[in-house]
Amino acid sequence: MKNIICCLIIIAAISVHAQQSKPYDMMVNGVKVIVVPSGNEIIQVSLVIKGGVQNYAANKAGIEKMAMKALTECGTEKDDKNSFKNKLDEVDGQVYGYTQKDASYFQLNCIKSDLETVWPLYVDALTIPKFDAKEFDRIREEAINNLRQQESNPDADLQKMAMETAFKGMDYAKSPSGTIDNLKTLTSTETKNYFKSILTRAKIFIVVVGDIPKEDLEKKMGSLIEKIPQGKTFELKRSSYVPQANSFVPKQKDVATNYIMGISSAPAANSKDYLASALASNMFYDKMFLEVRTKNGLSYAPAAYITNGATPYSVMYVTTKEPDKFIAVARNTVDKLKKDGFPADDVKNTKTTYATYQYYDNEANSSLCSMVAFNELEVGDWHRAFTLKEDLQPITPADVNTVFNKYIGNFTWVYQGDPKQVNPTLFTQKATPPVPAEKKAF
Amino acid sequence: MKKKWLSLCFCWFALIAIGQPRLPQNYYWQKLDNGLEVVVIENHKVPLATIEIAVKNGAYTEGPEYSGLSHLFEHMFFKANKDYPDQEKFLKRTQELGAIWNGTTGTERVNYFFTFDKDSLEAGLKFMNAAIRFPIYREEDMQKERPVVDGEFQRGESDPGFQLWIETNKRVWGDLFTRKNPIGDHDIINTATPEKMMVIKDKYYVPNNSLLVVCGDVNPDLAFSLAKKIYGDWKPADMDPQKKYPIPDFKPIEKTNYFIKESSIAKTPTMMMIWQGPDFRNDSVGTLAADVFSRILSLNSSKWQQALIDKGFASSASINYQTSRYVGPIEIDITPIPGKLKECYQEVMNQISKFDKEDYFTDADLQKAKEGLKRQQIRQMERPSSLASQLTFWWCSTSLNYMTDYFPAMDKITRDDIRKYVSKYISGKPYVAGMIINAEMSTQYKPTDYFKN
Repeated sequence: MKNIICCLIIIAAISVHAQQSKPYDMMVNGVKVIVVPSGNEIIQVSLVIKGGVQNYAANKAGIEKMAMKALTECGTEKDDKNSFKNKLDEVDGQVYGYTQKDASYFQLNCIKSDLETVWPLYVDALTIPKFDAKEFDRIREEAINNLRQQESNPDADLQKMAMETAFKGMDYAKSPSGTIDNLKTLTSTETKNYFKSILTRAKIFIVVVGDIPKEDLEKKMGSLIEKIPQGKTFELKRSSYVPQANSFVPKQKDVATNYIMGISSAPAANSKDYLASALASNMFYDKMFLEVRTKNGLSYAPAAYITNGATPYSVMYVTTKEPDKFIAVARNTVDKLKKDGFPADDVKNTKTTYATYQYYDNEANSSLCSMVAFNELEVGDWHRAFTLKEDLQPITPADVNTVFNKYIGNFTWVYQGDPKQVNPTLFTQKATPPVPAEKKAF
Repeated sequence: MKKKWLSLCFCWFALIAIGQPRLPQNYYWQKLDNGLEVVVIENHKVPLATIEIAVKNGAYTEGPEYSGLSHLFEHMFFKANKDYPDQEKFLKRTQELGAIWNGTTGTERVNYFFTFDKDSLEAGLKFMNAAIRFPIYREEDMQKERPVVDGEFQRGESDPGFQLWIETNKRVWGDLFTRKNPIGDHDIINTATPEKMMVIKDKYYVPNNSLLVVCGDVNPDLAFSLAKKIYGDWKPADMDPQKKYPIPDFKPIEKTNYFIKESSIAKTPTMMMIWQGPDFRNDSVGTLAADVFSRILSLNSSKWQQALIDKGFASSASINYQTSRYVGPIEIDITPIPGKLKECYQEVMNQISKFDKEDYFTDADLQKAKEGLKRQQIRQMERPSSLASQLTFWWCSTSLNYMTDYFPAMDKITRDDIRKYVSKYISGKPYVAGMIINAEMSTQYKPTDYFKN
């Protein structure tokens, strides 16, 4: 029932009492390897390649995602695609890559006793990928089809439109999935060369969650990293997004309700405002749920959250049959919060909720791995994944109210549905529109 | 004397054992006097506790006049009750507890769950008790929640995959479609009354139709004692609701039925085929064989994957069986590469025609599938807070014994079991096949010429 979208991406980890030993890091051939013992039978490894959309031009968007896919779908110098995948199937080993705005991730997940089978395949995929041309043609067709499917999905299509509209001319306007036109022109050779250019020691770090003896791990990591060139120094560029005025872009789409997303600014994960904004965002979600859904019955899925990547931003999202009433309720809610602030009690409760979410994400090695990687990539210090509960304690209601007022301002709105059902002025006008009177049931 | 005493003891333990389901290690079960089953799962991985109540309710209990109301009821659970008389107060309490919470309505289960700090166990159990036993249904609350539930429906209708699912299932289940469709009917949702909510509550929300699970960093003795103290006076129904309100039998699909739905939002075509499959009541071995067969077809080395994915006819091709107490569907989902739509469809049919052949899969594939399933079991146990929902699913659609025996029983599935499953439910059996496609692609690729019986 409740959409768990409120669970912020920034949620961090807490060391768990069942763990056998503490997390640590080590430098192996100049690459940071962060290790989190887990006390269970599962091994999760993530090699993070920094850069994401900063690594390619707009007309090459999609190339990094294709490269990550090709690592496991186009064979290696030792195994053709079928041989590679069949070996993984023998032990249900999971080796796969995915891409996001700020980085790509090449993952391994297997049962501990299968590591000696899966690890060599993981290393081969990274270091001697074949990029077989015939297989590449196949996965390119699949990727084009997947893009069409994304377009069919109303949420994915809305999200893409919001990114392209808000971040026009910026790196974040690029979709890691690319465009059909881009994908059509990609060749296996070009993609292979591209992958070689981004897999450098300067651009990567590795997170391991699982119980592997340190000596063994050092040996494994050493033999992987020695095959990776040093490359040029790389630093993720940070930028901010501050819309100068409210705007509204509609798109006609034959859907059964109205899809709306608004983008505003947010602090960077490595800034002093970050923790207070995390609490503010969670409480803002709760208020939106209360006002939009509980009190006014306007939507199944109202949401509000922040993302703290290289270009951080805040989001308001809704699907509703009454878009004009929604925007009136949402804007009045924002005004009231700015005027009255969040109650101290809510700030205290939200800290408790955070602790629950943190432990919750500690339950699985994969989510723990993601949290550690996020903190290393975006906050610049993986240790923060284990101290967030304590870090939140000093945050005061005044801190939270200050950041909410500072960052929640103008919104870039995008809309999909029947534009005749919406009055754009209510979204863009400076003055907050009044909430229409409630209709009586009978 | 000693011998007699020992045999008396043996009889006593045997009697207990009759009522006691088989359970995995660290799972404990009790049945309260009012019929409420309680399971405690002890897992100290993180200092959290999860409590869940599952009720044998959902689409399968809904005739046309109640279609979608199990789901609306689930939403109303979070609205108001005797301790928290409006949703604002209810939500405030979840925040005080720092709770992650949700509810779901499926075909054969409605469940509610809260995860919070382990020290809040008693408070959480009381909170759940107030909501499940003492809800308040006000017309004004329902007026606000109806569009919320309908909004969830409209979101589904905005997705071509959901549209295809609805149209296919209408044809598979005929007059009893409502009993397989948890999202329901717009008109029924929008005219629902507090009286109808009370009917559902009185019929199904009784202890002898419910299961309480307490899971996580908890002491089993304490958890059972709290459960008894808080839920022990919940009044049971005079007889088992599952017997009192029997579910009508689904009619078999009479004949194979094809349809094509045009939709402007379907940017690429998708195909769906559904057969009526086995169920727990009548063919539990068939349900296991179905899962193993689906797993085999997901292997890269399977003929299915090689023919459709490796050859570039589709970007995804899966077969799945939904374990059910009342006739589980066997569903094939294909995302064809549009330019190869015809070849893809023909290859799907070619593969289906070979499902019952002796050489359709190898012994190595069967072994690989089983090895994969063993590892799936390890992965399923990884997240303690998910264990409650896994357990309640099996309790509603099968039994706790079935759950506990699932992986060992799966390991015993033979080629012959799979052959029987395929020939009993798929090969030569009527099915429903649907395709959703936009008008432009429909004109270009002409599926009406070949996507038919």
